[in-house]
Amino acid sequence: MLPILSLTLATLFVGTVITFFSGPRARYVAAGVSAAFLVEIAVMFLQFSWPAVAVAPTHFAESESYPWIQVAWLHVNYTVGIDGISLVLILLTGILQAVTVAYSWTERREPGAWFGLVLLTCLGCFGVFVALDVLLFFVFWEVVLIPMFFLIGFWGGPRRRYAALKFFIYTHVASVTMLVALLVTAFYSHSPSLDFASLAGSASALAVPTQIVLFLSLFFGFGVKFPIVPFHTWLPDAHVEAPTGGSVLLAGLLLKLGGYGLIRWGLEILPTGLAHVQWILYAVAFASIVWGAGVSLAQRDLKRLVAFSSINHMGIVLLAIALYSSLGLLAAVLLMFAHGIVSALLFMVSGSVHHTFGSRDLASVGGITPTAPALSTMTMTGALASLGLPALISFPAEFTALLATWDKLGYWVLIPLLTLVVTAAFYIWMMQRLLFGQPKGIPAGAHDLPYAEAFAMGVLVVLTVLYGILPNLLVHFIQLSPVAGLP
Amino acid sequence: MTALAWTVFVPELFLLGAALLIFLLDSLGILRDRRVELFGGLATVAIVVALVGVLADLRFAPLASLATVPAGVVNAPWTLLGGSLVAVTSFGLVFQAIFLTSALLVSLASLSHPSDQKGAAIFFGLLLIATLGMTLAAFSADLIFLLLSIEITGISTYLLVGYTRRDPRGLEAAMKMYIIGALSAALSFFGASLLFSVYGTTSLATLGGPILYNTHFPPPLLGATSIALLGYGFLVVGIGFKVTVVPFHAWAVDVYDGAPSDVSAFLAGGSKKVGLFGYFLVFLVPILLSGRAPPGLPPIPVGFHVLIVHFGLPLQVVFGVMAVVTMTVGNVLALQQTEMKRMLAYSSISQAGYMLIGLAVATSPAVAGAVLLIFAHIFMKAGAFIVVGAVAGLGVGSRITDWKGVGLRFPFLGASFAVMLLSLAGIPLTVGFVAKFVLFSAAVQAQGWFVWLAVAGLLNSALSVFYYARVLRVMYMEKGEAVVVPIPAGAVAGGSDPPLLGVGGIGYGRAAAIGVAVAIIFAFGVYPQPVLASFQMAVNHLLQVL
Repeated sequence: MLPILSLTLATLFVGTVITFFSGPRARYVAAGVSAAFLVEIAVMFLQFSWPAVAVAPTHFAESESYPWIQVAWLHVNYTVGIDGISLVLILLTGILQAVTVAYSWTERREPGAWFGLVLLTCLGCFGVFVALDVLLFFVFWEVVLIPMFFLIGFWGGPRRRYAALKFFIYTHVASVTMLVALLVTAFYSHSPSLDFASLAGSASALAVPTQIVLFLSLFFGFGVKFPIVPFHTWLPDAHVEAPTGGSVLLAGLLLKLGGYGLIRWGLEILPTGLAHVQWILYAVAFASIVWGAGVSLAQRDLKRLVAFSSINHMGIVLLAIALYSSLGLLAAVLLMFAHGIVSALLFMVSGSVHHTFGSRDLASVGGITPTAPALSTMTMTGALASLGLPALISFPAEFTALLATWDKLGYWVLIPLLTLVVTAAFYIWMMQRLLFGQPKGIPAGAHDLPYAEAFAMGVLVVLTVLYGILPNLLVHFIQLSPVAGLP
Repeated sequence: MTALAWTVFVPELFLLGAALLIFLLDSLGILRDRRVELFGGLATVAIVVALVGVLADLRFAPLASLATVPAGVVNAPWTLLGGSLVAVTSFGLVFQAIFLTSALLVSLASLSHPSDQKGAAIFFGLLLIATLGMTLAAFSADLIFLLLSIEITGISTYLLVGYTRRDPRGLEAAMKMYIIGALSAALSFFGASLLFSVYGTTSLATLGGPILYNTHFPPPLLGATSIALLGYGFLVVGIGFKVTVVPFHAWAVDVYDGAPSDVSAFLAGGSKKVGLFGYFLVFLVPILLSGRAPPGLPPIPVGFHVLIVHFGLPLQVVFGVMAVVTMTVGNVLALQQTEMKRMLAYSSISQAGYMLIGLAVATSPAVAGAVLLIFAHIFMKAGAFIVVGAVAGLGVGSRITDWKGVGLRFPFLGASFAVMLLSLAGIPLTVGFVAKFVLFSAAVQAQGWFVWLAVAGLLNSALSVFYYARVLRVMYMEKGEAVVVPIPAGAVAGGSDPPLLGVGGIGYGRAAAIGVAVAIIFAFGVYPQPVLASFQMAVNHLLQVL
């Protein structure tokens, strides 16, 4: 069978390098790489679901393993493989890479570096989703960090340098904690190698208190990326200062790394640890949900609003993961996908609002629909999807999440449920202020979306509707994973 | 005891020969106007030949024979004055290769010093002599021989620091280093004499083992063990100055800052490592032999008693504490620096702290990890100093804020420096990351309180990201051109670095050295197996024979 994962990594790597050195033509190279990436993802889907080649749903498909570092006491392999969960998130990576490249088609400032860094970020995310070895995973995890640091710090807003540094420090401390926890898991349980499979096999031999401490460390490590309250403060800063493309990748992909990491390396390796501290995760999730929604209500800056609503949505993801049920995981992955698409759309909207009208301040810009009908439509779709309107992508995901919460927690479901009302409130209020009413703060000569941006957002709008109506296109695959067999 | 083949000294002979040849040619005045090329070429060739020789010893000399050669160390009879002075171990050979690599990098980079014709012979000659001292130290089987070899390196480097003779800061640094070096040597030798009084020998294999004492004489007032511990204490301090562990680090910052950048590169990448090697050689034996008699203990003469001693735990605790303190203090102080070279100097101190973890844990994986970090440090830190020299040569000031826009104005230097800093910070795909990964994994694998060393190390790595990222920020994200200090004719910019000519204004040799360093950082960052496996094998050898 085709070693499609390594092939994709190679494509992305070579593509990134070429992009870096192709200066003003970088966008064409980046577009080509994105197209190739999407084709390769299609091949993965085919190979994954083709009855003749598909493997048992509880195993990793396409796994490849080669020795990397082998000394007597340390066995590190280059091991990659995917299951349904990673596959869906890889699809998200491919989509977001393509639309980010499309959206920033007219980037003039150091285009080679810009597109190169965008591709590198996606390369890192793809690597995280396929890596099945502690070291490999950590390498890709950190690879994501560097390009994002430069994307924020070089192309960002006025306080970009502070935001870039804060982002870098926060997430680096978290990843270091995660690495220690994984190493302790491996060495204390005498795991024969640092592969995911051997870790998952041997970790249950650890004493329960150790497992709890390790799980909590992992939770912190992945939680900062989520981000969970109270470690979320890097996110609004990073988002507000980041350029639009950077925000799209940050919200669409980087936050998903936290969720994916918690499922794959936390929950699947240390289920006993999770079982003992579930209530901590619930508490943190509820705090994030309520806090994210409440703070969103008070935002005047469109981008900050979307950023805080991300905290709210990722709180629901955390809640769904913490339930530790197959329905919960399904909901978590669906919701991550949905949030990836919708938040990308909304960040593009706020980027376009900003450079069309010169401000994102909801108090000073308003009534944009007559001037920019297309932008207004995109905004409305994004906002409606984000507040969970049926037939749009977030609805099946949030519904499943609430159902799974009801299953396990009963009336506690009221907390996320009632917060949805708040979410709806701030989005509707946002639409009311921004889209409708008397036009204000519209500079002369403001025009509707340029083609590149309209195309990028259009794709996301179509996907929002498509997966909203046919969520089974994703559900089918998510269930082909080792954790699908949970109660 | 096996006699050593003289061929193992061929690399040293080349170094010595080249150094003497350089001094001879200099005094004869041959090719006076092309001195730099001549002497630099000679030195580089000699180092390359020596390095090839050492690698050949490592690779082709059957390792089986190497296993018997440490017989010089291990099977030395337990007589009172027994033991040979030198022994070839694969561990020593690995360190020789490391020392020679750092010297090679520095001599390559220094090939382009057009303005400093006069000092060429001194610089390259002393570089060779210092390297000779380091390679000899790698062969030592005797404490005195080790300390003397370190002293050869020390004396040469005092002179190297001040060799340009024009910059008062360089001279001050040389003086400071000389005084501290003398103090360090005195302490070390005093420690050695105390150990001799207990063991009756200075053979490294015997030190730290069971203590023989004559029952006819009453034991000394404080007891043999206390005196031995005191001796070890003096050695920890004495060699500690060379390693720049906190609190014996203060001199290093002024010296690295005041010395020409190439010399700083050599000090950080090479000569400091000889101190670490000394630490390993002197202290691994007592730590590992702690509380057990080596298998080859000969019959005890009548009237003597054997005291089995436990130096392991106290020494490990001392090194563990020193490791944590050194890396923390180094990092915290590096955070506050505004001068680029001082920042690098403090970062170098903190790296010494990481390396000490290897000694505190003292398992073969941990030592191998420390050796890997020492190896990596050549390319990251010596490379960084070389870049700083190049950038200073292009007229950029020495403060970090002067580096605004350097990344965009000098893409090659900027990108190389970024790679080196990321490697120092331990970001994946660089050899610095791999080394730290192996080292901290080894500490975790050893379990017990060593895990906290790994945690401290990782927290410190996270802390260090802050000041490295700040430099990246200045280089790439701050508005404004790099501040260019106009260089008046005959004067020097940025400390004592002479302006450079040649490719892109930085000289071929320097460009090559930087390119090689970056290539190696990436190559072994992606695939560390060859170096790691050979370091691991060498360390296993050493520990097996103990």
